Amino acid sequence: MSTSTRSRAVRRDARAALLFLAPAVLFLAAFVAYPLLTAGVLSFHSWDGVSPRQWTGLANYERLLGDRIFWGSLRNNILVALTAIVFQVGVGMVIAYWLVRVVPRIKRFAMFLYVVPVVISEICIGLLWGFVYNPYFGLLNGFLNAVGLDELARGWLGDRSTAMPAVLVVMNLTYLGLYILLFVAAFENVDKAVYDAAAIDGAGHYRTFFSVSVPMVWSNVQATTLLAVVSSFKTFSLVYVLTRGGPNNATDVVSTYLFQTGFGNFEAGYASTIGFVQILLTAAVGVFVLGLMRRGKRGAA
Amino acid sequence: MTSSTIHVTRQHTKAVPGTTGRGRPRLGVGAAIVYLILAVHLTVVIFPFLWMAYSSLKSNKDFLASVWSLPTNAQWANYGTALGDGKLLVYAGNSLAITVVSVALTVAMATAAGYAFVTYRTRWMPWVEVSMLVAMAIPAYVALVPLVATLRDAGLLDTRTGVVLPTVAFNLPVSVLIMRAFFSTVPRSLVEAARVDGASELRAFLRVMVPIARPAMFTTAIVNTIWVWNDFLFPLVLLNTPSKKTLPLGLTDYVGERVTDYPVLLAAILLAALGSFVVYAALQKHVIGGLTSGAVKQ
Repeated sequence: MSTSTRSRAVRRDARAALLFLAPAVLFLAAFVAYPLLTAGVLSFHSWDGVSPRQWTGLANYERLLGDRIFWGSLRNNILVALTAIVFQVGVGMVIAYWLVRVVPRIKRFAMFLYVVPVVISEICIGLLWGFVYNPYFGLLNGFLNAVGLDELARGWLGDRSTAMPAVLVVMNLTYLGLYILLFVAAFENVDKAVYDAAAIDGAGHYRTFFSVSVPMVWSNVQATTLLAVVSSFKTFSLVYVLTRGGPNNATDVVSTYLFQTGFGNFEAGYASTIGFVQILLTAAVGVFVLGLMRRGKRGAA
Repeated sequence: MTSSTIHVTRQHTKAVPGTTGRGRPRLGVGAAIVYLILAVHLTVVIFPFLWMAYSSLKSNKDFLASVWSLPTNAQWANYGTALGDGKLLVYAGNSLAITVVSVALTVAMATAAGYAFVTYRTRWMPWVEVSMLVAMAIPAYVALVPLVATLRDAGLLDTRTGVVLPTVAFNLPVSVLIMRAFFSTVPRSLVEAARVDGASELRAFLRVMVPIARPAMFTTAIVNTIWVWNDFLFPLVLLNTPSKKTLPLGLTDYVGERVTDYPVLLAAILLAALGSFVVYAALQKHVIGGLTSGAVKQ
């Protein structure tokens, strides 16, 4: 009896599981998996997006290898990721520690303000920072003129040497709030007794932070670093609205370059190649970062 | 040695459950420096928004005369002008429609899937879970070219439905994981009791589990609302007709059309940002909870 009951239960489970999962799985299959596979196929074709496509073998991949704009975009994505690790994860961790352990009185208020740019659309933020950087009436130039540093004033987003740093500043200020929020939650989960023990040892805030707080929330550090890296490779809207990747592709990231290639130049096949390679690279970078962090943990322990 | 012991004693007497961080060893100068740094930093983060608010009330002449100065007499008419042709309201309506439908679909499917992950054990289940995790790391733009082709073939290009479908798909994995995390906290016995009761699987889910899951569903809905309302990429690529555009997308058109009247432009940007800000200010705890669980699950 037990065998047949169990097998009936198993079958019942499988049927029910299918019923509950089917809608989500179908959506993912139709609008994530299928387009990705199609992108893989398209990456071997030359296609303008409308007329019949032509098989070109590895031509797109060869072109990609020598495509300076693509590698420049990728370099910018990596810059975004590295600055995010320092100025979002790192700075977020320090500010969260301050809010929880040093100045808890303003914790709620400061968190409220830091999260404002996180919930407002990147388009509004980008347009607003366009006013900050504007060469003619920008806030930044106005400030520099007021303090007598006129010679530094410039069109920040139009100048090849300052455009990418200017974009990075906006990104890191905008998303920082999310990381503060995550680390405040993590630090508040740390048992108070641990801090008491650190205080008995006579540890100041500096030592408490590095030898107590950070090791205690190391799994959060890993998760948020991965989040920062993955998000950095997804970034699009802020770059698009601030510079469209200009001047002269100086601020292009892979997403804006793909957009321009696929929908500006109508090179749908090559755009698919860019996207497909991007997935492989994201996966590789993700694995690499996780590996590094494992080693970092072992080193710290 | 003695001094730190005193600190500890004081900490113990002051430690009340529910308060955190109070009763730390005091550090007058250190705390003052931290206050100062945070004040300066927060000013940099927030000032652009304040500047937008007061500059949107200037006349264009005042604005061009000096960017930093406060308005001499408030031009509330700028807001009338910004709303004047009704375009912003049309964009907002489209954003609202797309957001409501996408969020409802996502939450419904994520709740069912999250429940299934926790409740049923089948051989293929781990594969589905792994593919959800992988899907979370995939940037939406990678799928854009084929998506446009597919939606065009289906006659859904340049329709709001065409935006909803991929939006839901790309927000599903994180949402499913948030719901799964919630259901894994529900006592197993409750799930079993509901199922053994003779009720069908679907009824046990709808009658017993969905009511318990409401707070988690609300959290999932909040994060999704923020994501969909602010999303730019899918509307940019999939919508073309002005009357169908969403607020962030329409706003970029709006800016292109009114390049010269800066205060009116700022009024429009402020109006576009206002919705998110009001929701955030009113539901702060839920928004923060939603952002936290949405991010950690990645």
